[in-house]
Parts: sequence; C-alpha cells; structure tokens
Amino acid sequence: MATPAEIENRSRRLNEKLADYIPPRETWTPADEALFKPPDLLRVPLDEAQELQFKAIKYAFTRHYTYNQFYREYCKTKGVAPGDLKSTDDFDKIPFIPDSALKQHPSGKDLAYWITSIFTGDLSKVVIKGANPTFDDVISAFNEQAGLAVAYSSGTSGQHTVLPRDMKTFLSAEYAMAKIMTCMSDDLLADHSLLLVPKHTQSNLWIAKGLTYQSEVYNDVCYTLDFEISADLARKAMTSEDQRESAPPSAEARGRIIVENAVKWFKRYDKTKDTIRVISPPFLLSQIMDELEREGQQCEFGERGTIITGGGWKMSDDKHVAPEDFRKRIAEVLGIPETRCTEMYVLTEMNGHNHSCPEGHYFHVPHTYLKPFVLDRNFMPVGYDESGRFAFIDTLAGSYPGFIITGDEVRMLEHCPVCDRPGSVLDPVIKRTASAEGRGCSTVLQKVLDRELEAK
Amino acid sequence: MIEMNEQGFPSQEASTPTGLALGPVIRKMLANPGALKKMRMMDPDEERYVRPPREYDLPAYRQGMKYCKSNEKYLRPTRWCNPREPLVIAMANELGAYELSDWEFAEAAFWFVKTKFIAEFLALNSVSDSLRRGTGTCMHMNSVWVALCRAAGIKARYKSFNMMLPSSLTTVAKTERDRTTANMFNRGMPEIEGEICIDGKWVVGHVAMRPEYLACGYLPIPRFGEDAIGLTFPLAPGATIKRYESIPLWMWFVVKAMMSFIPASMGRANLTILGALLKGSQVIEEAGGLEAYDRAARSKSESLPVDEILRTMKAAMRPELVEFEA
Repeated sequence: MATPAEIENRSRRLNEKLADYIPPRETWTPADEALFKPPDLLRVPLDEAQELQFKAIKYAFTRHYTYNQFYREYCKTKGVAPGDLKSTDDFDKIPFIPDSALKQHPSGKDLAYWITSIFTGDLSKVVIKGANPTFDDVISAFNEQAGLAVAYSSGTSGQHTVLPRDMKTFLSAEYAMAKIMTCMSDDLLADHSLLLVPKHTQSNLWIAKGLTYQSEVYNDVCYTLDFEISADLARKAMTSEDQRESAPPSAEARGRIIVENAVKWFKRYDKTKDTIRVISPPFLLSQIMDELEREGQQCEFGERGTIITGGGWKMSDDKHVAPEDFRKRIAEVLGIPETRCTEMYVLTEMNGHNHSCPEGHYFHVPHTYLKPFVLDRNFMPVGYDESGRFAFIDTLAGSYPGFIITGDEVRMLEHCPVCDRPGSVLDPVIKRTASAEGRGCSTVLQKVLDRELEAK
Repeated sequence: MIEMNEQGFPSQEASTPTGLALGPVIRKMLANPGALKKMRMMDPDEERYVRPPREYDLPAYRQGMKYCKSNEKYLRPTRWCNPREPLVIAMANELGAYELSDWEFAEAAFWFVKTKFIAEFLALNSVSDSLRRGTGTCMHMNSVWVALCRAAGIKARYKSFNMMLPSSLTTVAKTERDRTTANMFNRGMPEIEGEICIDGKWVVGHVAMRPEYLACGYLPIPRFGEDAIGLTFPLAPGATIKRYESIPLWMWFVVKAMMSFIPASMGRANLTILGALLKGSQVIEEAGGLEAYDRAARSKSESLPVDEILRTMKAAMRPELVEFEA
C-alpha cells in the first residue's frame, strides 16, 4: 500500500499536469475546497471530511435553490429552503431528483428547451441549425456555442441520461476522476495507456468525455474506439449481445478491428519491460481475453500492468462474471495480479467516481465532496449494511442539481472491511433495481414486440 | 358508442407526437420477415404458455335467481357483455346481488375480478366464457365486472384512456423502430376501467390488473372508487378519456388481428405476465401482505413524483435561449 508521502507526491505531480483545471485558491467555493485541498481524497479523516462535506452541501443546495428556477420550485413544493439545513441530520430533507426524470427528456427541438430548464445559472443563447435537429445536433450546439460539456449516458436502459455541465463543473469532474484514480493506483507514470472507451473528441458519451484528461496526464494514450459514436450507435455498441448480433456488417467488422488492435497492443508490450495501464468496460476486455485464448496466447505483465474496469457488464446476463472471477481470469490471461486490477463505479450523473481499493475491491466514496445514501423502497435512508437504492449529493455539480436518486441497488458499509481508508464504501456487487414493469398489458406486449422487431 | 372527453387532469403535453402508428408498424413488420416470422411462430424449444387453473368455483344457476331484466341504457346487454347469461346471474347472486347494498356489491364484484382473474391476451368472447376461464384482457375483465353489476341491477359502463408508457418505451426512444412500436401502444392500445353508477354518481374501478402484477412494478393497488389514472398510469396527453356503454367494434378488431397475425408474440406476452405475477406475489409476501405492501407502495409513489418533477422542469424552460435556423 502506498504511503501518505507517496500519495502526496502523486497528487503534486497530478496538480502540475492539471494546473489549468484548478481555479485560483482565492476563488475556491466550499465544494472546490473539498476537492482540491486534500492531497489524498480517500484518506481524509472522517471529522475533517464531514466538515468539508457539510459546507460544500450547504453551498451547493443554496446555489441551485437560488439560480435554478426548476429546482427552486421543486424545493418549494417540498417545503425545503436553504435555511432549513442546519446540520448533517437535515441532509435527507434535500429534495432528490430520480434518474428516471433525467432520462425522460424530449427529443429534437424540445431537448434544447429541456436543457435550459435543468441548467443552473446563466446560459448563452444557442442557435441550432436544421428544422429537425438530432439528439447529437442539439448537444453539440450547446457544447460549441454555450461553452458547455453536455454529455449523456450510454443508454443501455433504453434511454440516455442527459446532463449539462458548465466548464467549471466539467473541469472539476475531470480533476476528481484523475485524483481519485491517482489516489488508488500508482499508474501515473505508466509508459503506455490503452483506453477501450470512445474518444472524447468523437463522442458526447460521458464515458468518453469523463476521461478527456487522460491524454494530458498519462503517457502514450491509445484509443481503440477512435471513430464517431453517436447516441444511437452507442447503444448498439455497448448494449446487449442481441443488438450486436443484429448490427450491420460494418459495425461487426469495426468491433473485430477493435479487439484485434487491442490484442496487438497487449502482445507488443508484453515483450518489453514497459509498464502499461488499461481502462476498459469489462465486457470488452473479456472479448480481448477470449481472442488471446483463441490464439493460444498468454501475457505476463505482472506488476508492470494496471487494469481499471468500469461501466459494468453491458452484455446479456449469462455473460456476466463475478468481479473476483473476472480478476482471476485477468491474472491467468494477462498475468496481472488481482491487486493491480481495480474497478470504477461511474455514473453519468456523478462528478468523479467511486473507485475500488486494490486490497478489498470495495468502492470507496470520495466523501469530502460526495454524500452517499442508500434508500429503501419508500425512498427513506437506511442504515449501513442494508441493500437499497443508491442516491447521492454531489457538490461538484455546479450547473445542474446534483441531488440524484439512481437506479442502482447497492449495499453500503460504514468502512472498508479490508483496507484502512476511512469513510463508507459500497459492496463490489452493484445491480440495477427492478424497474416499474408491466404497467399494463400493453407494456408487456410492447416489450415483447420491441424485442422481436429488433431481431433479424 | 358514447364518447365523453374528460377535463380536469393536469395538462401533459406530449414531447413528441403520439399518433396512431399501426400503419408504419405493419409496414415494418412486413419489411422484416424474420421478425414477423418470430411473431407468428414459436421456436420448437421455446416455452409454451399454459393457462393456469381458474382460482374460483363456478356457482350453478338455479331457476328463480334474481337478475335485472331492464333494457335501460347501462343495464341492458351489449356487445360481449350479456348480464343475462345464466352463469353471470349465478355468479352475481353468489357475490350478494340483491342482498348487499349497491356499493357493497359493486365492491365485492370489483375485488372478485381484480384478485381472481389473470391477464391473458386472447380474442373477445362472452362473459360466461371469461368466467369459465378466469383469464382475459382488460376488456374481458371489465366486461365481467360490468356484466355482474348490470345483472345486479346497477348501471355500469366502460371507460377507456390512453396511458403514457414508461419513458423507456416512448418519447425518449431514439430509433425509429422503438418509436414506432411505442407509439402504436400509446394510441393503439388503450387501458380500460369500469364505472358503476351508485346513487346517481359514477364510481370508477380498475379491475384489469391483479395486485401481484402491480406489485411486480412496486405500484399502488387502486381500490374501488380510485382512478388508476395518476396512481398507476400517467395519462397520455390530449382528450383520450372516453366512456362507452358497449365495447367498440374496433377494439375487437385490434385484438383479433393481433391474435391472428402475431399469435406467438401474444403467447410470449402471456408468459411474461405469469412471470410477473410470480415475482409480484413474492414482493407482497416480503412486504408482509397485501395491505402492508399497498401502504408502502403508496408512500413510495408520493415521495418520487417524477411526473411532478417533469411538469416543474417544463414550466422552467427558457425558450428565449434557443433559436432554430432552417
């Protein structure tokens, strides 16, 4: 395990590389302080973290109440105002926004109006060309003209979560991602990086945009998905095997090329003494390992390698592998030990992420700026060690109300049972909550037909 | 057929048009022979739907059992709803017709249908056939309830409305294919409720979904007198609420067409329903029974007002910040 001095060193190095992401100290908000001040975001003593968190949450809630008309009206219907937050016990009064509301945005022209309603603060006017702008047309217009970083989720549930980040929020999100990764992993000086995610210049997916900083921080960053990925293509490329099987030949060929190029990359550096790091969704890494095994190949990276997976299993349920089994497979095929394999629990709605510790693989929450909750079926907070719906207050979200109820089922522990990092953690196994299925016979029939119409 | 348009529900403008799209759906089905084949034929190894046994006994009809002979509107026999069939009369008497008050009887019949019938896609038929089977679509189930009430001398009618399907299926559908199928059901397949006239007032009831089915989606269970609109279903925009004395012919046609053209899909849907019932019964058991489940589900639906949030978002839109250039 790295010493505090080593982590501090890494943070300093990171701050040098990402100097442009850090605002001047005199302008720091409480949320900025919670993010930029601690050298190791995941080893802040609890009382210090809670103090930073409290100030950041008060600030964030007041900001959104004041500058976001939608959120203010919503809070008024709930009878909650900034003056009501007097202690940490009052945080569960804060009105949350379910992620389903963020997915129920309109399309076309109305999407543009929807973005203006969820955005907190002043927004420049945008001009969108075309009588029938596409989803990506609208988002690109805001990004190019209003200086935003609007991004969306992969849409594996059938709908994209769309969130508008202003530059401050975006840069904070990037910095948070980088810092959390640096605190958990010593790969800052890796010789080569392979990113098996869409490239940030070619896609508005958060999985792409959220890693924009990679080429500024790491050496020799190689993107295997270096082609334009629209919202529609994203769902085909990153969702079920059924959809991949029904994809057009060009998409299949592209998928094969991605895997082949990645295999070549692994084989090239296996023969050297260089250090490597890889960021990948597990299903794609699994395909690469399948190919290596088909070729009868095994790599022996050992301590030279770092694997970071994230995004969950997007394939059909029968391909899902338990995290510990997946790490064992990585050790067998790539020769990278389990302690050098970590996972990211990333959400489009969250700035930064929860990163698993190499010791126990529990997801550590960056608790200086993020407050996690686990909610029961009545959407009331439950105690530690109980399963429920994951919700959080994200104080880095300056341009949208970051008080989110997700669709994920988690179990939260008061502290990691394996490593000594303070603060709560989430169990490695995260599932989707049961959706409100079957609101009528029509719904059932529609799902069946939908599935069958998509099949070849 | 009598149509009445309803006012008084919060306006929910559709974010995309939800027009009847049966035509495009049929065209797509014909353009995709593989899909059409799958919809028409089950694979050899595929699980087949087997109708579960009826969950109640059928009472025997006896001469002299009381029933309503009036030809007054809402009491008389109508299409697929004949309250004078012997089995209907027998069941109405079994449930307390002419012994209980109108409200008590209507409520007893309501819970009988709601808790004993299982949803199944099949063509429309007589109420007696539905009673013998114990299954049916929302049209079958509402016909049973309406017929029982009419047999007991209580006026009854149908009410249909178009519901907003979950967002994963409708307006945020990003491919034309998704939108097509979603739109078909946003207008092509209404949801049905019944209304019973008690002391001169029409009282609504949603019999068409068993508690277990609703529990599968953690939804509240509408009681007799409670409208499913707003509680279980968001209402589709526009004037979609209609009331009928008799089931419209076109509803028969749609169901018949689907049973004829895509029987395999209907079979798979029936299987899905059975799976949902099993899951829902587990949810109810875990919650500590029906009442405890419903209490919890109602408090959940109150604390997660997605529709309210969406309305508030819509009201806060700033259209002056966006300009569209042709």
